[in-house]
Amino acid sequence: MNILRALVCPVLLCAALVGAHASTAIADPIEIEHERGTLRLDAPATRVATINWAFTESVIALGLDPVAIADPQDYVDWVAKPDLPDSFVDLGQRSSPNLEALRAAKPDLIISVPDLGMSYEKLAEIAPVLELQLFDGNRPAFETAREVFGKIAKATGREAEAKAYLTDIDQELIKYGDRIKTAIGPDQTINVVFFFDESNVGIFADISLPGSVMTAMGVPVAYDGEVNKWGFGRGGLEILAPYAKETLVYTNPVPDVVLDKLLNSPIWKVMDFTRNNRVYELPVVWAYGGVPSGLRFAKLLTETIENGPQQ
Amino acid sequence: MSNAVLHGSVKSGFLDTLSIPAILTGILGLLTLAVLVIDFWPYLANGQVPQAMFSPDETDFDQILFHYSTLPRLAMAFLCGAGLALAGAAIQTVLRNPLASPTTLGVGAGVEFALTLFVLLAPASLAMFQEAFALAGGLIALAAVYLIAANRGNATLWLILAGMIVNLLLQSGSQIILLFNEQYLQSIFMWGAGDLAQNGWEDTQFVWPRVLIGMIAILALSRPLDLLALGDDTASSLGAKVTVLRLLILGLAVFITASVISAAGMIGFVGLAIPAALRIAGLSRSRDLMVYSVFTGGFALLVIDFLVRQFNEFGGDPLPTGAATALFGAPFIIFMLRKARIMPGSQSDDQHSDQQIVSKTALSIALAVSLVIGVVFSLFVSLDGHGFVVLGWKDSSLDILIGRSERTFAAMICGAALAVSGTLIQRVGRNPLASPEITGVSSATALAMIMALAIFGFGQRAELMVIGAAGGIASLLVLLALCRKFTHAPHYMLLNGLAMTAILGAIVRIVLTRGGTQTSMLMSWLAGTTYFTNMDEVMIVAGITGVLLVVAIALRRPLELASLGTDQSVSLGLGISGFQFAMMLLAAILAASATLLVGPLSFVGLMAPHLARVAGYRLAGGHLLGAVLIGVNVMMVAEWLARNMIYPAQLPTGLIAALIGTGYFLILASRKR
Repeated sequence: MNILRALVCPVLLCAALVGAHASTAIADPIEIEHERGTLRLDAPATRVATINWAFTESVIALGLDPVAIADPQDYVDWVAKPDLPDSFVDLGQRSSPNLEALRAAKPDLIISVPDLGMSYEKLAEIAPVLELQLFDGNRPAFETAREVFGKIAKATGREAEAKAYLTDIDQELIKYGDRIKTAIGPDQTINVVFFFDESNVGIFADISLPGSVMTAMGVPVAYDGEVNKWGFGRGGLEILAPYAKETLVYTNPVPDVVLDKLLNSPIWKVMDFTRNNRVYELPVVWAYGGVPSGLRFAKLLTETIENGPQQ
Repeated sequence: MSNAVLHGSVKSGFLDTLSIPAILTGILGLLTLAVLVIDFWPYLANGQVPQAMFSPDETDFDQILFHYSTLPRLAMAFLCGAGLALAGAAIQTVLRNPLASPTTLGVGAGVEFALTLFVLLAPASLAMFQEAFALAGGLIALAAVYLIAANRGNATLWLILAGMIVNLLLQSGSQIILLFNEQYLQSIFMWGAGDLAQNGWEDTQFVWPRVLIGMIAILALSRPLDLLALGDDTASSLGAKVTVLRLLILGLAVFITASVISAAGMIGFVGLAIPAALRIAGLSRSRDLMVYSVFTGGFALLVIDFLVRQFNEFGGDPLPTGAATALFGAPFIIFMLRKARIMPGSQSDDQHSDQQIVSKTALSIALAVSLVIGVVFSLFVSLDGHGFVVLGWKDSSLDILIGRSERTFAAMICGAALAVSGTLIQRVGRNPLASPEITGVSSATALAMIMALAIFGFGQRAELMVIGAAGGIASLLVLLALCRKFTHAPHYMLLNGLAMTAILGAIVRIVLTRGGTQTSMLMSWLAGTTYFTNMDEVMIVAGITGVLLVVAIALRRPLELASLGTDQSVSLGLGISGFQFAMMLLAAILAASATLLVGPLSFVGLMAPHLARVAGYRLAGGHLLGAVLIGVNVMMVAEWLARNMIYPAQLPTGLIAALIGTGYFLILASRKR
């Protein structure tokens, strides 16, 4: 790469250097810590490209429309809210965002994840890259999400908006938590579960986004077993058995066929949460998202539980 | 005295033909009994066995779990093992091929591909056609394998190699479908990796009648099968309608396989290992072989699944039984290779002397011209979702050109490296279906990189490259060590590759089910994307390829002699095995380098040398250059298609090349008929 570049375009390179030098002189640079050290931006980014949905929703929540978005179709199905802007460049898959489409969108900031670390240099040739880790398996996801949200706000010069968005968030979460406690009783705890198929389930631990949001709400999850790299435990239905006395909430989307088979299976029916009528169905919310998905989860969970168990 | 001798020989004959299979089955039977005792223990202890088995206490969670999860899992494990082993025994007998099985002949991959496609894309209203679809997938895959291998002199080897081609293609096809449905990855992977977790008796009720009907039908046909085993001529002279019978039995075997895979996903190696082991242990009559296969297969999978269940109790992500089975089974292939008698194919089977398509000179010029035009077209023309776009001169054009040339050149260099590698392997191995994929070097390179990435957490590309190269070279050394003793070393080397590829398959499935956020990146690399390559790497691989190509051309005369066949070469006074190994080493280094750039799969190393020879490049030097020209052209086209076909999303180049390659072999096969 470097060989070719050096051979072919010394002039362009010089021009770019001069240009970069000229603009540094104008404003105070913004400095943000990220996975690659410190990112310096000469001015707040206005044309942001987002490779991951957690960034997409965070940028939109800050009142800025991303100019390029990866996997927008699936975003609609799995993240649902906030709505995508009317026009943007479709980058294709999150695992390999189209570099030419990205370049055509003329971003002044690309927000990416360490999973795409192998293509960091290629992204960095197009625009400055803010590489942020969303979930590292050690810190509660909601804590990381708030930090990521703050960094995105700083990079886009929307710290005021971020402050407004996050104001009273702790009190609000506590209020949601109180409403849930009122609805299901103070002694009940909740498990958030999703279905792989009719025999295998995942159960979110306190470190995951749903789990860490619930901790902030004062209604911590009941599950305390093994956790994988995504922050949930996984296994056959029997892993739910130790927590059968508690309340169970399952997430969407889940294919009808799977749901039908599972809810009608004898093992499901014998569980205490089924017998005690403590099963709730949560609308679509992205369990691996950022602050907006976290807050949406809190709101939807509260409403779901207040609306009563699934019949 | 003579009496004692007679007695002794009878005894040993008895041991050879009957006792060993019986002992094997007996041991597995005892282990199964032990598993049952352990699983039933709580109910044996308090005398509630009948209750737990037939009418569980609806308020007792343990009993419900036992009745609706443990028991059906035991039943499914036995049924799947028995069904697959029987299907394998039937296929092996019909095709008279000790390495044939539902997995090695692509049936499993065909069913899996069809089901993946169906589950993700078909509307719910078509659900009732799912089974027919799965069955069709298996049959089509088997037909493709048979077509490619049909009318070859050495059907045994050809079938296995053709099966491997179809297998690799279908597996990567399934992976692509998944790449575009990332959110469902986890559940599909779990099923695809052979998951026996049960929730109720539904799956068991689906599988048992099908497996039973298939078994009864196959066993009923097993007497004529013994006639088949004598060979076509004998069988038809005895009045059996050989073709009909063969097709019927193969169809039934596919039916059983499709039923099992529909319910439990891909469970590897039971269908291959069990009947093959029984045959090695001395069972020769097909009826015996099948009856033993049913029980041995059933017991074996039940015991393996028990072990997997214990492992899963440690928590975290569950280990899928099917993938675990493949891990158990892969070393067994190596063992079997030492037992199975597979004779090397003779080159004369595939001379194509009457198939020269155009003159060599015209073709060389055409290829060179298409290369130049193709490169210009690839760099300047693209699709943007609406139509063709020609790159104009803007300030970003140079960067776009650099981006495109990185990927185009990476693909082309890999095409060249694999073409040289494939030519060497095909010449030295004297087998026109051999390819770098098949030596296992590509797979081992990929395996090393995957393990480094997914298990040990190496994320930097440069680190992964070094680790991958080390893996490829290590696997080559292992192969050389394994092959040392064989007379027909190159052939065994190719077949050892089968085992390596199988291990890779199993590890990949396990790693993918265990999640991790890099899953999808891993998958696109495995399917052969150029997305992550950079120009420095391209330059290095180009350098290696260039040097080794020159070396190979310089050695074209001994290479010529080597491809005449060992015996002639030896009589001409050449130290042939040393030279063969040296050529294999060159081939392996090239294959590993190409794998580092675009992943382990493309079939260019298979197709390019083959096509070059069909086109009339006969002598070693011309063969090498012709193959390189073809390989580079094919990869260039594949790369452009991969980048533009479904813009802005991108397909892996290797997969497109593999599609082109498989299409080529199918066309070739149908032309021959």
